[in-house]
Amino acid sequence: MSTFVDDFPAEAKVVRSSMYNAFVALAIGALMGILQTLYRTDVFHFISAEQYYTVLTAHGVFMVISFTIWFLVGVFAWAVISSLDRGVEDLRFTWAWFGFMTVGTLLAAIAIFGGFMSDPPEVLGSELSADVLFTFYAPLEAHPFFYIGLVLFVVGTWLAGADWFRSYLAWRSENPGERIPLPTFMVLTTMIMWYIATLGVATSILVFLLPWSLGLVDTVNPTLTRTLFWFFGHPVVYFWLMPAYLLWYTLLPKLAGGRLFSDPLARVVFVLFLLLSTPVGIHHQYLDPGIAEGFKFIAMTNTMFLLLPSLLTAFTVVASIEHGARQRGGEGRLGWLKALPWKDPVFTGMIFAGLMFAAGGFSGMVNAGMNINYLVHNTLWVPGHFHLTVGTAVALTFMAASYWFIPQLTGKQLVGRSIALVQVVLWFVGMVFMTNAMHRTGMLGVPRRTAEPWYDGFEYAGNVAEHNFQIALGGTILTLSILLFFVVILLTLLRGSKGGVEGSSIPEPLSGPDHSPAVIDNLKLWAGIAIVLVIMAYTLPLASIVERGGLFGPDGMRSFPSGNPGFLEYTSLFVQMVIQNATEVIFR
Amino acid sequence: MGSTEQEVKQDGSEATQPVREIGHDEYDPIGTLTLIALYFLILISMWFFMYFVEFVGNDPTVVGMV
Repeated sequence: MSTFVDDFPAEAKVVRSSMYNAFVALAIGALMGILQTLYRTDVFHFISAEQYYTVLTAHGVFMVISFTIWFLVGVFAWAVISSLDRGVEDLRFTWAWFGFMTVGTLLAAIAIFGGFMSDPPEVLGSELSADVLFTFYAPLEAHPFFYIGLVLFVVGTWLAGADWFRSYLAWRSENPGERIPLPTFMVLTTMIMWYIATLGVATSILVFLLPWSLGLVDTVNPTLTRTLFWFFGHPVVYFWLMPAYLLWYTLLPKLAGGRLFSDPLARVVFVLFLLLSTPVGIHHQYLDPGIAEGFKFIAMTNTMFLLLPSLLTAFTVVASIEHGARQRGGEGRLGWLKALPWKDPVFTGMIFAGLMFAAGGFSGMVNAGMNINYLVHNTLWVPGHFHLTVGTAVALTFMAASYWFIPQLTGKQLVGRSIALVQVVLWFVGMVFMTNAMHRTGMLGVPRRTAEPWYDGFEYAGNVAEHNFQIALGGTILTLSILLFFVVILLTLLRGSKGGVEGSSIPEPLSGPDHSPAVIDNLKLWAGIAIVLVIMAYTLPLASIVERGGLFGPDGMRSFPSGNPGFLEYTSLFVQMVIQNATEVIFR
Repeated sequence: MGSTEQEVKQDGSEATQPVREIGHDEYDPIGTLTLIALYFLILISMWFFMYFVEFVGNDPTVVGMV
């Protein structure tokens, strides 16, 4: 019954540091969140309309890139180390990926915060600023530091993945023929998905956006950079979600007093996410001109299939919790719900997170439909949706899980357990107000990504003022919740007494891995199929986008061979010709 | 501080010590079925509302103008 820090003190330090970085990002992101909430609901303007977009970018990037992924690497490192029951192969390598991610975060942060300066300095030939939002595709252009920072950060995650694969291979050589422990299986499938998905954003940044921002190329093809962004932009949402799923599958049954209902079903879910997360990105571009409807239809079909693993998760996780409740003496069709440990903030937080995810499933279905998407596209409905998913399912799970992890990683008991319980409930209540009003405002046609969505001589057909009040109220409750979160974390770190923390062992599933065929553990097979699906979904759309708009935009095409083209231009011309010829051959 | 520690231990032991053991074969997740069925009903009725009332039932949308 030892804690993680007792078993792996050096590794616990890496996991702990990753989570602390996540908390710093969360604090900055939350501050930006309340500033923008009060601004766009017209309650109070602490910032100017121009600064709103700096705040919006910082909120997006710090929350969904820094906070989520820093917490993810912590959870994943813990999952691999504890389930394989072995330390990392080389601690220096582990700190190296940590270093890459840290430097990357800092560079991107410098570029973003440059936007707050009245007279930002010139670095590398351009002004320090990156008001490009989290969806950083062209025509919005950031300072090179922003792109370089993102590249270093993503490379850091790649190396982290390599670290976990290395541990797995070392374990495999000592345990031939054994089934991969479930948490490690979840980490490895998610990382394969991540490697495939990040190829899109790496290409977008390294070939187009960074050279453009450095002045090496004059123009880019906006549709192409958008499409490459969404190639990464949809799977990234599952990258945020998978550590939450991992915790729902492993921690929740334990906390409920039960056992995971089915290990094979959990594996199937992660395989389905690996296969289906990437070939769906075009569903973010239903209203983009320049992509044929047929390609959008294929993306929609894939997306609808992607509902399946989440519905499987709803079943498995709820069934595991019900098992716990019945073992604790719960009776009846729904009476068992009363037997659950509702006073435990870790449990309650995760359940509320899951409940909000179920609501997010509904708004996600609306987003995913090609026709009905027209109703809500680019409106405040969409931020309403993702504050249910990443903003609650993921963020609230992470905060609740922190109340379990920090004692595991420091050996100190949690201080302020009842404050923690109030914190997770407040987050739920705040999000109910905020997201409900965001969805409804979106249906009135109020746009997203807009500092001042009010216009002269035009009235929305609904009570926008009431919705705005709810959004501001929700945002304020959420800010209060975040403050309480930091109170509990800081109290635990500063005042928590050592010892007495429950062990980190996870009970065996009811239906173990032996109940599934061995092919489920064949990672090469699933990786192969995932790549084939991506090629099928993206080759023709990308070829057609390049054919229509040019690899570096129409202007780039016309003026191309003039002047003194460098290596990059020759290479891109070559690739462009290859793609054009291939397209002609395919369409002929 | 003392009372908090006590509470932690109480809650911890409550969470880990089951009243009874229920194995794979005698477990019937009827409550899960009920909750999931309820969720499906909500999901489907809300989708119908969105499609027929908000989407098709309202005045000009992009589709309506074509």
